[in-house]
Parts: sequence; structure tokens; C-alpha cells
Amino acid sequence: MKKVTSARISQLLFLALFLVLFLMTEYRGSDRIVAAVNGFFRANPLTAASTMLAAREYQPLLLPGLLVLVAAVFLGRFFCGWICPLGTILDLVTGRIRKVGAIRALTGRAKYWLLLPLLIASLLGVNLAGLLDPIALLLRALTFFFHPLFGDTVRGGWRSLYGLIGERRDLFDPGYRLLRDYLLPFRETLYPLAFLSALLFVLILFLERYERRAWCRRLCPLGTLLGLVSRLGPLRRIPAKLCADCQACREHCPTSFDRDLLQMEECILCLECSLRCPSQRVRFRFAGPRPQVGTVMERRVFLGGLVGGVVLARGLRFREPAAEAKLLRPPGVRDEDEFLKKCVRCGECMKVCLRSALYPAFFQAGAQGLYTPLLVPRLGYCEYNCTLCGQVCPTGAIPDLGKEEKQRQVIGKAVFDKNHCLPFAKRIDCIVCEEHCPIPGKAIRSERVELTGFDGVKRVVQQPYVVDELCNGCGICENVCPLEGKAAIEVFRVKDRTPLKASSGGASSSGAPPVSDPYVDPYAGGGS
Amino acid sequence: MERRQFIKILGMSSLFLHGWLRNLFAAQGPMVAVAQGTDHAGITRKALAALGGMQQFVKPGQTVVVKPNIGWDRTPEYAATTNPTVVKTVVEECLKAGAKRVKVFDRTCNDPRRCYASSGIESALRGMKGVEVKHLEEERFKKVALNGKVLKEWELYGEALSADVYINVPVAKHHGLSRLTLGMKNVMGIMGGSRGAIHKNIDQALADVNASFRPHLTLIDATRILTAHGPQGGNLADVKVLNRVIASTDIVAADAYATTLFGLKPADIAVTRTAYQRGLGEMNLDKMRIVRV
Repeated sequence: MKKVTSARISQLLFLALFLVLFLMTEYRGSDRIVAAVNGFFRANPLTAASTMLAAREYQPLLLPGLLVLVAAVFLGRFFCGWICPLGTILDLVTGRIRKVGAIRALTGRAKYWLLLPLLIASLLGVNLAGLLDPIALLLRALTFFFHPLFGDTVRGGWRSLYGLIGERRDLFDPGYRLLRDYLLPFRETLYPLAFLSALLFVLILFLERYERRAWCRRLCPLGTLLGLVSRLGPLRRIPAKLCADCQACREHCPTSFDRDLLQMEECILCLECSLRCPSQRVRFRFAGPRPQVGTVMERRVFLGGLVGGVVLARGLRFREPAAEAKLLRPPGVRDEDEFLKKCVRCGECMKVCLRSALYPAFFQAGAQGLYTPLLVPRLGYCEYNCTLCGQVCPTGAIPDLGKEEKQRQVIGKAVFDKNHCLPFAKRIDCIVCEEHCPIPGKAIRSERVELTGFDGVKRVVQQPYVVDELCNGCGICENVCPLEGKAAIEVFRVKDRTPLKASSGGASSSGAPPVSDPYVDPYAGGGS
Repeated sequence: MERRQFIKILGMSSLFLHGWLRNLFAAQGPMVAVAQGTDHAGITRKALAALGGMQQFVKPGQTVVVKPNIGWDRTPEYAATTNPTVVKTVVEECLKAGAKRVKVFDRTCNDPRRCYASSGIESALRGMKGVEVKHLEEERFKKVALNGKVLKEWELYGEALSADVYINVPVAKHHGLSRLTLGMKNVMGIMGGSRGAIHKNIDQALADVNASFRPHLTLIDATRILTAHGPQGGNLADVKVLNRVIASTDIVAADAYATTLFGLKPADIAVTRTAYQRGLGEMNLDKMRIVRV
């Protein structure tokens, strides 16, 4: 990183952009969020390829990704050397890590053994590419681990400062506010899989011990895809081989000169060889046929990839029924299979969810659902007026819906457990769930019932019930239920997620309750 | 008449005069100012003026907490949150009376960022000097011994406790359990911990909190009231425009008067009744000085 080159400047700018977009993936007082926050995913060729293969249709949202793929035909893996923020991070740290030489197991066709099954599985309707996509890997490590860790540390310090100096802390408040408003995660959330996300990221760094950009050239499915495509293009390095009299390229090249011949599938177009060539011989040209570099992959690899894809797509489908009952997907997701085809597990929705309702699935959705977003009402709920998750989803797996439309989407249905619920089980008042139910007509209502309490005293208790036609399963009732541990009202998954009728959700509608409404408004006709 | 006899008669007569004497004082009972008009800033000022003006409560250099209801993610027209104009006018009057700092906050039920933005209160107060619209910070809650009937102790918000003046600015609206949410329930906004847990005994619990923590002034926003599906509402059909503001130093009296706006009697509201029985304020309308301005 000593020499300032165009590639370096580009890398640093894109890394900065990635981090800025990451921080912007947060509610900041406006209902709409800048569309660019998911830009890296929409311009991601692997995301585009796997999602379109899985959904078997053209996805307009992912057009930038296709454009990058087309550009790669002409420019090779420029994405890896000029844009990819994970690659930039590797370049930034690799200088401090001593190398011990490549791992033999990875030097062969290992990367095709990864990419091929992922693409084949996509074709069979299971889009797993996001698990190993470099942008997704980086974003998940940041979202689930590093950013919360940073937030925890700063907030913890701020808190202990209050313990130390009390109200005098207010002197520093303006400074802390800046930090809080622009850098810290608003909510302190602990995520499942935080450990795994961080571990994968650290493993990728660890691979730098063996050779520079080890992940990029040996494993990264995105880079492999770009390299594969670049074979078709006319871009050539001249001379293709190391010159007999110099061989300095071997020292300068971060990726593709461990053999005498430049490996075009691994060249990340950093242009170091050209810029540093002592005799200024090296050129990159759009030119005629390239020297023979061998077949892309042997039949063995191809067939293996095929089998691998089938195994991934068909073999990981098992879901535990009990876990499935609580398999709540973000609002607007109506069909599980459709969702699995489009979800690239990028973590954007979980990053932006302003009530920390969304968490990455571990095995709740089966092995094939790893890292897909799940709504966990006991930890957070879907905020009635918020539409952010749909806005940041790069593939439309969570549809981007207007506020009124989103409010009608059914996530699940709430169900009471009368063995727990206080007005039933203990015969005392509560109805915190009814109070919080955001549906204008109230999907949770209560009836006044005269009961004899267990203390022998007669009293009127309000017993709640759910109006299924109005419940959208947002989960706030389960979230706020004052019972410890398990809530007395829980949202369960339902197969039929037809959106609620417009009249019940429309805030500006006439608002008259349904005709069959058993709820009697005690204040009807009241007033001055 | 002998002196002894005179004293006897005087003493005896005081027995009969007892009720009259009490009524004499009752007539002096708590003052409730009710202002009406479509100029919401204007009626807020009028109500305050009827109580002698903000300078009765706020002295120069003091720190004031103004506590509106910002509990829900609703825009002002739904009457689930306090009218931002009313809040802004109260804040302005505090500053005019010489307040050094005015802090505005609430412990919200929905996401605080959304509530603060949607309520219009954050933007109404933006840029005002000496005014802070703050999000609550967990570490500022302090355990307070309430020694009440059902709540022995509870966490209350430090900045509310340490303020020189605390002004309670609720909105009047329907509530599924307590029937109405008014001044005394608005004080829940400074309660920490699991507030849902007090619902099983809400009237006693609120009386406990209000017995220990007393706002210096309660100003109920009834410019719009929510008549059903509270405390969140969300349906304009449930909203009634009354263009009224009620102010009193007696929180129970303010609540009692506001109850009548819903066509109910003060005694219908268990929270009000309990507070009255516990001597926290007056709930009999004929024992208040109701001043309409």
C-alpha cells in the first residue's frame, strides 16, 4: 500500500462508501431511506446470477449486477482489485502478516467446487450464494458483531461515566450525541450467529498467512464467477509469461503469478506489474487470442458441482415442525419457497430493523435457511409505520411496499395462552397487549367479565381476545406481554398470508368498525 | 349575656356552622382554568395566564421538565400524542419566565425515534435555545421509595426528579383499561422498569406514584381528544376536536374536569377516584374554581 495508484484510490473510496452506506442503513427520522444503501448488493454479479437463476426471471433491481458481469467480460476481475471492500481490507492488513506459502488443497480447482454447487443449487430453487458472498460476509460480520461491539463499548463507557460524575456528564453530551447519531447502532442488539459471522471474517483474514489475497483467488465465489466470465473476453496481458531476464512480476503481483504464466482468472487488474515493470514492458491490451491456459474445469469438477448442487438444494430441506411454527418472516413475505429463492442473506434487513425484530435464522428454517431473517417477537416487533426492511432488500425478497400496504401484510396471527394470560389464569386485569395493538380498530379487544377472584372477591375483569381478521402478526403484543419468559400471547406462522382488507388498515378511512363488531365503544355519543 | 354563656354559644354554633365553614374554604378550592379556541397557542397562554402566568411556577435560572405524551408513533391529528403547538407554547412561556433550560422527553411505547418525529414535537422545538428534546437514557433511572399501597419502590427518571419545575402536559384520550389517560397516567412516562406489570392494579399503583411525585403544573391538551381505541387510536373517526386546554396545579382536579369532556363523571375513572380518596386532590367539580377563559 505504499505507492498511490488509481486502483488504490478507487479501493479506498469504495471502502469508505461501503462503510458510509453501512452507517446510513439506519432510521434517521425519515420514512424513506436512501436507495443506495444496498448498492453493493445490487451491483453484485453473484447476487444477480444466483437470484435470477433461482427465481428464473429477470430481476430489474439487480440490473447493475448484470452490468458488472458484462463489464467483467472486457475488464476481467476489476471488481476485485478496484471495488470489493473485503479485498481492500485484505490489502490493508496483508502487509503485516508473514506468508508461509499456499495451502495445497486450495490451489487446484477448489473454487469451482464451491461456485458450481452454489449456482446449481440456485437453479434448483435454493439460493445459498449469499453464505459465501464476500460483500455479504463482510456486511454480516459488521452488522452482527463489530458494530454492536463498538456500540456496546462506547455506550458502556458513556454509562460508566454517568456512574462516575453523574449529571456533570451533560457537559460532554453534544459530543456524545454526534457519535450516537452518526456512528453507533441506535439499539444495542445481540445477534445469534454473531460469533460465526466474526469467525468467518477472521478466517478470511487468517488465510492471508498463506499467501496474499488467498480468499480472493482460491475460494471467493464472486471472484471465481468474474474470472470465469473474463475468459471469454479479449483483455490480455502482454507479455503473458514472466520475462526470462527479470521476473519482478512474481514479487509485485498479489494474485496470479505463482506460476510462470499469468492466471487471468485470478488477475485482479491492480496493474502493479505494469506500473512497476523496470523496463516498462508490461501492457494490458484488448487483443487477439490468448495463450492456452487449460480447460476451465475437468469433467470431474463439473459433475461434482452438479451433485453438490443437488445435495445442497434437496438435502438441506429438513425443518423441525416446532421451530417452523414460529418461523415468522418479515412483512410482505407470503411464500416461503419464493422467499428462499430470492433472499441473499445479506443482513441488510436485520441491520435496518428499527425495533430489532429481525434475527438471522440458525436452523429454525432448516439448514438451507441459515442466515435468512426471522422475526422474533419476544425480542422485538414489527413497527406498524415502518417500511425499511423492504426498502433495503436488494433482491425484493422482502417487497418494498408503501406504508398502508405493508400494514396489511400478514406476518402471522396472535394466539392467547389462557393458562398463562393474567385475566384468565389469575383473574386480574392486564390487557397491555390490547393497549399496544397498533391496528386502528384493535385486533386485540377485551370483554368485561364478572368473576370471583381467587381471593373470593367479586370483580370485573377485562379478558382479551384476538380478532383474526384484523391481526397482522406484528408481534408487539407478544413483545410487551408483562409475563416473564414466555409471553401469554404469541404470534404463530400461518400458511395463508393474504393481506388484510384495506378498510381495517387504512388510517384515513371512515373507520367504522365491521358490522359484526362485538366491541361496544363505551364512549360512543359521549363528549361535551 | 355573660361572657361564659357567649363562649358556650359560640362553641355550640361552630358545630352547626361546621359545614358552612368547610364550604367557605371549598369555594377557595383548586383552580382549574379551561381555555377554548382554535388558536391553540393562544388558549394555552390564556389558561396559563388564568393561573397567574408561568412566572408563578418558573423562576429565572431554573431547569424545567415539560413532559408531554409522546408515547406512540402517531401524527398529532390522531390525538394519541400531545399537540405540538401546546407543547411549544408551554416551552416558550417557560423560557419567557426565565427558565435556564427546558427538557422535553417521554418514555415511549413505540420506537422513540419514530414517536419523537411523528408527534411533531421534535420538529416544533428544533432550534430553540435552551431547549433539549431528549431520548431517555437507562442509567438515569433512580430507585425511589414510594412506600405506597402496591408499589413499595420504583425506578423514576432522574432528570424529572432533579428538575426545579415539572410540568405535566398530557393529551386527553381513551384507554382500554383505565378508561381514560389523563394527567396522572401521563406521569407513567417517567417510570422505568416493566410498566406493564402495574396494570393489574393500575389505579392504586398510579396513586402511589402520584403521591410521591407531584407535578407543579398539569396542563391537559384537549384540543383533540381520542374517544375510542386508545391509547393509540389511529382512526380519525375516533377523534373529536374540542379546541380546549385545561390547566391546574391540582392534577386530580384537572383530570376530573377533563373526564367530563368524554361525557363521564370523575368518579367513573378509578384512577381519579382512588387518588381523590387518598387525598391527592379534588375531584368534586362543585368544589373547584373552574375559570373559563
